[in-house]
Amino acid sequence: MTPASRAYIVRRIVLLPFLLVGLSIVVFALIHLAPGDPALAFISEQAMDPELVEQVRRNLGLDKPLPVQYAVWASHVIRLDFGTAYTFNRTPVIDLIRERLGVTVQLQGLALLVALALAIPIGVISAQRRYSLFDHTTTVGVLLGLALPNFWIALLLQLLFAVKLGWLPAFGSGADAHGLQKVAHYVMPVTVLATTVLPIFVRFMRSSMLDVISQEYVRTARAKGLPERAVIYGHALRNALIPMVTVVGNQLAGLLSGSVIVEYIFGWPGLGSLAYESILRRDYPVILALTLLAGSFILIVNVLVDIVYALIDPRISFD
Amino acid sequence: MAETAATPALGIDRLSRPPESQLRLAWRSFRRNRLAVAGGVVLLLLYVVALFAPVLAPYDYRAFNPGQPLKPPSAQHWMGTDRQTRDVFSRVLVGSRVSLAVGFAAVSLIMLIGITLGAVAGYLGGVVDNVIMRLTDIMLAIPLLFLLIAAAALFTPGIRTTVIVIGFTSWMTTARLVRGEFLRLKALDYVLAARALGASTPRIMARHLLPNALPAIIVQATLWLSYAILLESSLSFLGLGVQPPTPSWGNMLADGRVDMRIGWWVAVFPGMAIFVTVLAFNLVGDGLRDAFDPWRRER
Repeated sequence: MTPASRAYIVRRIVLLPFLLVGLSIVVFALIHLAPGDPALAFISEQAMDPELVEQVRRNLGLDKPLPVQYAVWASHVIRLDFGTAYTFNRTPVIDLIRERLGVTVQLQGLALLVALALAIPIGVISAQRRYSLFDHTTTVGVLLGLALPNFWIALLLQLLFAVKLGWLPAFGSGADAHGLQKVAHYVMPVTVLATTVLPIFVRFMRSSMLDVISQEYVRTARAKGLPERAVIYGHALRNALIPMVTVVGNQLAGLLSGSVIVEYIFGWPGLGSLAYESILRRDYPVILALTLLAGSFILIVNVLVDIVYALIDPRISFD
Repeated sequence: MAETAATPALGIDRLSRPPESQLRLAWRSFRRNRLAVAGGVVLLLLYVVALFAPVLAPYDYRAFNPGQPLKPPSAQHWMGTDRQTRDVFSRVLVGSRVSLAVGFAAVSLIMLIGITLGAVAGYLGGVVDNVIMRLTDIMLAIPLLFLLIAAAALFTPGIRTTVIVIGFTSWMTTARLVRGEFLRLKALDYVLAARALGASTPRIMARHLLPNALPAIIVQATLWLSYAILLESSLSFLGLGVQPPTPSWGNMLADGRVDMRIGWWVAVFPGMAIFVTVLAFNLVGDGLRDAFDPWRRER
């Protein structure tokens, strides 16, 4: 590792805690954007009992000056204590999140794997046979895919495969199902999530591959008589994959956004549907915790991505 | 008169073609891009439809057709009727007004915030730049839909809330882009010359830097028009954006979702409208980017 890239990595790591504090301030500010009495803004009409209003006031420390309020709130949050939810049977927020984390991680992970497993070969073949029928089809597919609203694809899939054909279950995560039936529950949600990032991955993989193929070392590899397969997969692909790390990292926030829509439409009990339900119930401790945790996760992943990127590609210069 | 007299005196100018402006070059390149032109034509049609929607719609979008709930598409009702017996086609037409207007207003706000913050960060640099850019990093880390629904839930839902919420949660990529452009441009000699001549900072930013950053900004704004329409329809689909009875493509889809088993048309047609509109904006945006940036044309 060059000294420059080491300095860069150190700087990124040192900056991270500051970004996390900044994130918590942004999220905290979000509460105080609400017009009127914040204590009342966070309570749904159904749950309007005096004890609860008192709890909110205590939680937010509304009688104290803003910086003090923030300090109190932050001192709890840093211990992952987000208080208890106003609804959801007053469950502690962190337990709610823990319960639902697994579902979202599964869906996101599978969607990412499927999208990459398709995007890499499609991008490589498109670049390899530039301007061929396959390449043109890919380009058109990417354009169409980027314009497809994910909630619309979800509804169309439900309509076709669940309502008309009856092949796949329209709803639920299949918690009690086994074997193939359980797999069937995953097909549509994973497909919808994957299609939101697939066009982006394909487009990037293709252009990254085109960049690499025009490099001189690839020409050298061909000139010394290596078979085309070895040139593409041994030399070109490896280097074309490196920038993909950043693209995947950049799309994680978008994938998490997609989980709100997908989990809502397909009725999966994950973090996305938790976010949506807590909004409908105006259960603010839950939505604040989710926003803060999701943001922290993305910030940390971004730093990791940058470190990995610096480690695997020594050519990158930082300034 | 004076101009025509001056030209022959230079002589050589008559032989070489006059230099073409960047805008003209870009326009020529854009015109050759068939997909982009097709997208532009679709957009033009869409705006005309939106403008004349009440005249073009065969029925009043609020009117009930007694005894005809969830009728499939027919000669009378091209896109069928919904649960409340209203004509879906008329509602899709009128919905275009809401979706396009919300998109346009939201993007104006995104550009206002993004350009201001990006310009200040890029030109001033130092601490200001650092603070603005770290705020940008933080806002970008929060999944947009989480931020959007959390913010939307704080205010009374409606068209104005939708515009404001999208604007205040989506300015970050524009700020980054404009900062980059300003950083690049401010190092050029002509800016140094302007400063040497005593131009003030606001004047340099508005008169010398902004016009040169405009191509990148126009491309960004076009692409954001498609994202903003997608965001509005997502919010409205979740019931947190434009509220019924005002028809927007997103809340029509939410309506149609409930009745999907009986009538697919209520959900399918508004979705198609979103798809076509977003596609058209993307094609025009891509076309503009290629037209303004000769280096990318090859790709």
